[in-house]
Amino acid sequence: MTEETPFRHRSIWHMVLAPVVWSLHFASVYAITAIDCAKTGTLDTAQLAIAALTLIALVLIAVITWRSWRQWDYLGDYTYVHDKPTVKHRREFLGHAGFLLGVVSVIGVIFVAMPALFIGSCQ
Amino acid sequence: MTDTFSDAPRNAPRDDDSGKVLDETLQGVYPPSEEMLNRPVDPALRARNEQQLRAAWKTPTGWRYWSAVNNSEVGRWYSLTAFFFMLCAGVLALLMRIQLAVPDNDFLSADRFNQFFTMHGSAMMFLFAVPMFEAISILILPAFLGARDMPFPRLSAYGYWSFLIGGCFVLGSILFNASPSSGWFMYPPLATEQEGVGPDIWLLGLSFIEIASIAAAVELIVGTIKCRPPGMRINLMPLYAWYVLVVGAMILFAFPPLIAGDYLFELQRSLDWPFFDPDRGGDPMLWQHLFWIFGHPEVYIVFLPSIAVAAMVIPTAAQRPIVGYEWIVLSAVGVGFLSFGLWVHHMFTTGLPSISLGFFSAASEAVVIPTGVQIFAFIATLMAGRVKMSQPVLWIAGALAIFTAGGLTGVMVAVAPFDWQVHDTYFIVAHLHYTLFGGMVFPIIGGIYYFYPFITKKKMSDRLSKWAFWLTFSGFNICFLPMHLTGLRGMPRRVASYPEAAGWDWLNMISTVGSFIIAAGILVFAWDLLRPKSRQPLTERNPWNAGTLEWSHDVPAEAWGSRSVPYVTSRYPLWEEPKLQERLDDGRFYIPDAPEGKRETIVSSAVDAVPQAAVPITGPTWCTLWAAGFTGGAFILPVFQMYWAAVVSGVFAIACVIYWLWTATAQVPKKPMRDAGLGLKLPTYVSGPNAPGWWGVFITMLGDSTAFASLVFGVFFFWTARPDFPPADAPLPDAVLAALSGLGFALAWGATVAARRFNRHGRAGLARGFIGAAVALACGAGAALALTVLVPGLEPASHAFPAVMCALAVWTGAHTVLGALMLLYCLAGSWFGKLTPRYDADLRNTTLYWHFLCLSGVITALLLGAFPRLLA
Amino acid sequence: MKRRAAICVLPFLLTACAGEQSVLDPAGRDAQVLSDLFWVMLAGAVVLWLFVNGLIFYVTRIAPRPLGRRAAEALIIGGGVVFPTIVLGALLIYALSEMPNQRASGEGLEVRVMAHQYWWRVEYWPDGASEPVISANEIRLPTGQRSEITLNAERVIHSFWIPALGGKTDLIPGRQTRMSLEPVRAGQFRGQCAEFCGESHAYMAFGAVTMPPEEFAAWLEAEAAPAKPPEGNEATRGAALFLSEGCGACHAVRGTAASGAVGPDLTHLASRRTLAAGILPMEKAALRDWVSDPARFKPGVEMPGFDHLTDAELEALASYLMGLT
Repeated sequence: MTEETPFRHRSIWHMVLAPVVWSLHFASVYAITAIDCAKTGTLDTAQLAIAALTLIALVLIAVITWRSWRQWDYLGDYTYVHDKPTVKHRREFLGHAGFLLGVVSVIGVIFVAMPALFIGSCQ
Repeated sequence: MTDTFSDAPRNAPRDDDSGKVLDETLQGVYPPSEEMLNRPVDPALRARNEQQLRAAWKTPTGWRYWSAVNNSEVGRWYSLTAFFFMLCAGVLALLMRIQLAVPDNDFLSADRFNQFFTMHGSAMMFLFAVPMFEAISILILPAFLGARDMPFPRLSAYGYWSFLIGGCFVLGSILFNASPSSGWFMYPPLATEQEGVGPDIWLLGLSFIEIASIAAAVELIVGTIKCRPPGMRINLMPLYAWYVLVVGAMILFAFPPLIAGDYLFELQRSLDWPFFDPDRGGDPMLWQHLFWIFGHPEVYIVFLPSIAVAAMVIPTAAQRPIVGYEWIVLSAVGVGFLSFGLWVHHMFTTGLPSISLGFFSAASEAVVIPTGVQIFAFIATLMAGRVKMSQPVLWIAGALAIFTAGGLTGVMVAVAPFDWQVHDTYFIVAHLHYTLFGGMVFPIIGGIYYFYPFITKKKMSDRLSKWAFWLTFSGFNICFLPMHLTGLRGMPRRVASYPEAAGWDWLNMISTVGSFIIAAGILVFAWDLLRPKSRQPLTERNPWNAGTLEWSHDVPAEAWGSRSVPYVTSRYPLWEEPKLQERLDDGRFYIPDAPEGKRETIVSSAVDAVPQAAVPITGPTWCTLWAAGFTGGAFILPVFQMYWAAVVSGVFAIACVIYWLWTATAQVPKKPMRDAGLGLKLPTYVSGPNAPGWWGVFITMLGDSTAFASLVFGVFFFWTARPDFPPADAPLPDAVLAALSGLGFALAWGATVAARRFNRHGRAGLARGFIGAAVALACGAGAALALTVLVPGLEPASHAFPAVMCALAVWTGAHTVLGALMLLYCLAGSWFGKLTPRYDADLRNTTLYWHFLCLSGVITALLLGAFPRLLA
Repeated sequence: MKRRAAICVLPFLLTACAGEQSVLDPAGRDAQVLSDLFWVMLAGAVVLWLFVNGLIFYVTRIAPRPLGRRAAEALIIGGGVVFPTIVLGALLIYALSEMPNQRASGEGLEVRVMAHQYWWRVEYWPDGASEPVISANEIRLPTGQRSEITLNAERVIHSFWIPALGGKTDLIPGRQTRMSLEPVRAGQFRGQCAEFCGESHAYMAFGAVTMPPEEFAAWLEAEAAPAKPPEGNEATRGAALFLSEGCGACHAVRGTAASGAVGPDLTHLASRRTLAAGILPMEKAALRDWVSDPARFKPGVEMPGFDHLTDAELEALASYLMGLT
C-alpha cells in the first residue's frame, strides 16, 4: 500500500504548500530589503540574500509541484476533470489544483524577484 | 489500494490513504447502497417525521419572531440591512456629486464633504461589501451543502445584531454632524489629532463590526469544512463553498491587523500612547502598513464572493457543468494568497525604496494571472454550453464588461511609476469603482435575481430587471468613464471643490449626471426587490433548471431547509442524480426526523465528508440580542469617555455569552447514539478535532494570533524605522519578571493539558485539581506580566517604545483573563456534570485556546524581557 | 465615415488632454516617460478589453456551436496563464527599469519643501549654498537639469505633485522623503496637494514655473534680495499697518522688521502667480478679501481674519503687499 500511495494527501494543506512558499519568499525578501535599506542604506547584503532566497524558493516549489504532478497522475489516465465521488478523483483533484498553484507560485516568485535585477539602490 | 475498496458500502469508514479506522464510535453502513436508497418510506412515518421536523424548526411568530436564529431569517435581515446601508452610502455619494457638479460650489461645506466621503467609503466597505458577502452566504450556503442551518446559528444572530447596532451607530453619526472626516483610511497624524468623537466612532464602531465579521467568517469556514452532506468530497463542493473557504480564511488573516491597528490607534486617542506621533518615537507609517495589510485583501474579500455568485449562475446559464473547476479553485486560492502581497501599492508615493515598491508592483501584476484564469474559465463555460439569456446573465455579462475594464486599469496603476502620477486622483476613483461595481455590485444584483426565487419562491420582474440593468450600466459608464480623464487632467481625490480654471467642470458635470442615472437604476432594482408580491404565483421548484442542491428546497418554503440530508455523489446533484429529489423529499436520506424535537445537523469529515455525528444545534433565543447589545455598549460607551459604564456593559456581555454557552452548547445528550437513517448510527456528541466547536475555536485563534502577530510586527517596524528604539535612557521591562511570566504561561498550559488527559481517563477529581492549578498559574503569569512593565516604571505616554511594550502586555494580559475564565467554566462544568470524561468538548476547546495563549505568552515574555536588551 | 469620425475626435482628444495640471500634457522628462507609458498601456488595454468582451458577446449572443472541452481548456491556459505572464513580464521589465531614472539624484539645485496645513514653505539651496532663499507656495525650477526635491511636513501627511513634471511623493511628519524633477520645457503649471490633509485639503495648491537656467539664475538672485520698500502713500501706510497689526509675528518680509516664520514668507509675494496657495488670483481685490476673512476661502486656516480693519486700511495693506514684487 505504501508503494502505491507514496504521499499521504488526505489534507488540503498540501495543496497550498507552493503559495505558502511564495508568501514566505515574498515576506522575507521584503523584510530583508527594508532592514538593509534602513540600517545600512545600501542593498549589498539584500541582493545576495534575494538571489539565494529566490533560488531556494524556486527549488522548493519545483519539488512541491513535481509531487503534485505525480499525485495528479495525468500521464496515468489523462484525466483533468475530477468530478467522480471516488478517493482517486479526490486525490488527483488535490494534486491537479496543487500543480496549478505551483505553476502560479513559480511565476509569482520570478516576478517578485525581478525588481532586484533592475534596481540597485535604496532610492 | 483500489478505489472500489474505499468507495463501496462497508462498515466503519476508514481514513482512505492509511487504512486507519476513522471513527470507532460510528456504527452501521456507509456509504449507502443503491438498494437502500430505493427502499420506499412508509407514508405514515413520513408524515410523522415531517411533523417532528416542522415543530423543531418552527420560526417563532409575533414579536418573538426577532428571537429567531435560523439562517433563512438572519440571512434575510442581514442582507436587507446591508442593502439599506448601501442605499444610505449611495445617497452620500449623490450629495457629493451635486457638490462637484460645478466648480467653486458651496452646496456642501468642506467639512461636510469630508465627512461624507469618509462615511461613503467606510459604509460601503464595512457596512455593505463585507457584510453582504456574509449575509448572502449565511442565507444560501447551508442550502448549497444540503444542510439545515449554519453550525452555530446563535453566533450568526449575534453577529447580525452586532452589525445592526454598530452600523446604525457609525452611520447615524452623520445626522449629528459628528462623523469622522479624515477619510476611510484614517491616516494619522490627521486622524489621531482630529478633535471631537468622529475618529473614535470610526475606530470603536467599526472594530465592533469587524469582530462580528470575523465571527461570521469563522462560522462560514466551519460550515464549509464540517457540515457538508455525506459524500460531498472536497472535489465535489459547489464552487461557492470554495470561495467561502478562501474568503473566510482571508478575513481571518486580513481583519486582525486592522483590529490591532485600531487597538493602538484608540490607545493613542484615549491614553495618549504615542504610537503614531513622530515627536515621541512613533511613526505614522505603521498605521498605513497595518491598514493596508487589511485594506488590500479586503478588496479581494469583496470581489471573490461576487465572482462566486457568478460561478453558480454561469453553469446554469450555460446548462452545463463549469469548465475548469480545478482552474477556478486554483484561481480562488491563488488570489487569496497573492492579495496579501499587494498592500504597499496603496503606499507607492510614501517614499519607500524603489526596490520595495518593485516587489509590490510585481506581486500586483502577478495577481492578474489567477484573476484572468477565473474570467477565462467563465468564458470557456459559456462557450462550451448553450447560453440562454435571462435576467441574471445580463447582469453577469455587464459585470464582466465593467470588471475587465477595472482590471486593465488595475494593471496600469500597479506599475509603480505610473501610479506616482495617478495615485490619489480621480483616475483611481474610476478604477476602484470599475472593479467594485464590476466585481461586486453587478454580480451581486445578478445573484439576487438568480437566487430570489430560492429565497422567496417568487420571481422578480423581467421588464424591471432590464430597466434597472440598462439604467445602472449606462449611468455607471457615464459617471465613471470620464473620471479617468478627470484624474489624468490632474484632479486629486477627496477635494471638496475645484477652481473653474482647472478645466474639470464639464467632466464633473457629466459624472454627476451619470451618478443620478445609476441612482435611478438602483431605485428600479430596489422597487423590484421590495415591491409586494403576494398576488404573484409561486415559482416552480427549480425555475432555472440549475444543478446544485439549493434548488431542491420545498415550494412553498419549509423552515427545515433540506427535508433530509442527502448522500451526494456529484458536483451537480440535480442534473446528474435524477432520483435525488424524490429520495430527498421522501426522507430516505439522513436525519429525516427529529425524535427529540431538537434542531440537528450532520457533522462530516473535512476532506471526504464521511459522516461523523448528528449533533444538536441552537434554536431561538433572546440572549444573542442581549449579548450583542451589551457588547455594543462596551464598544460604544468609551467613545463618550464613559469607561466604567463600558466595563460594566462588557461584564454583562460576557455573562450573556456564558449563559448562552452553558445552556445551549455541548450539552450532555440523552442518548449517545442516534439512528440517522440508511442503516447508519451516529454519535450525538463530538469533541476535539471532529467537532465544529473545536474548529470554531481553532479558526478564531488563528485570527487572534494574526492580530497578535501584527503587534509583534509593530515592534519590529519601530526597530527598523526609528533610530531611537529603544531610547538610550529609557527604563526597560524587567527581565526576571518577564521570564517568570513566560514560565507561568508554560506551566499553566501544562496543567491544562494534564487536566484534559486525566479527564479523558476518567480521573475527574485529578482533572479538577489541575484545572484549579492552571487558573492559579494563569493568574500568576498575568500578574508577573503586569509587574514586568509596572516595576521598572515604564511610562507609555512618553515614547513609542514603552507604549508598544505596555500594549503587548495589556493584550496578552486580557487574553490571560479570558483563558482563566474558560478554565473556570470547565471547572464549573466538571462540577455540575456538564463536562464528563466522555463529553469533554469544553475542556478540549479550552486546551486548544491555551496552546495559542501559551505561545503568545512566551513570545510576549521574550519581546519584553529579551528583545530590548538585545537592541540596547 | 470612420476616418472622418477619427479626424473629428482627434483634436477633441488633444484639447481634452491639455492643461496646466494635466498628466497628458507633459513638460518634464519623467512626466513625458509616464505619459508615453500610459498611451502604450491604454492601447493594450483597449485591445484586450475589446477581445475579452467581444468574446463574451459572441458566446452569449451569437450562440455558436458549443465548443469542445479541450478547446475550452486551451482558452483558459492561453488566455489566463500564458498570455498574461508574457505581457505582464514585459510590462514589468519596461516599467521597473524606468524607476531608478525617475528617482535619480538631482544635480545642482536642491529645493526643500515643507508642507503646512494648508500651504508650502519652499527653500532653494543652490549648489554649495550655506543659506537658502526662502519662498512659499510657488515652485520654480530650471529646465534641462534634474533638481533634487526634499520633502517634509509639519503636522499631517501631504503629497507634493506637479502633474506636468512628474509623479508625486508624500510629505510625512517625522520622515524626510525625496524626489527629483527634470523639466524639459519652460512654462507655467499648477501643482496640488494630493494626500487628504484636512478640512481645506481642496484649497492647497501651488504654482509651478519652469524657466531656462539663465532666467532661473536671475530670478533666484532677485528672490534672494530683500523686499522692495513701499512706493507711494497708500503703500507706506499699508507697510506701517502690516507691522502694527502684528502680521510680522507670523510672516517674514525680509528687509523689514517682519520676521515671523509661522506663515508663508511674503518678501516677494506679488511676484507669484497666485495667492493663498494656488487658490486665488494675485490681484488686489482678492488679496483684500483674503486678509479680511481667510477662512471664507480656506476653512480651518490658521491665519485669523482682519475684518476689523476698515476698507481703506485693507486697501492700504493690499497696496503694500501688491508692491512686494
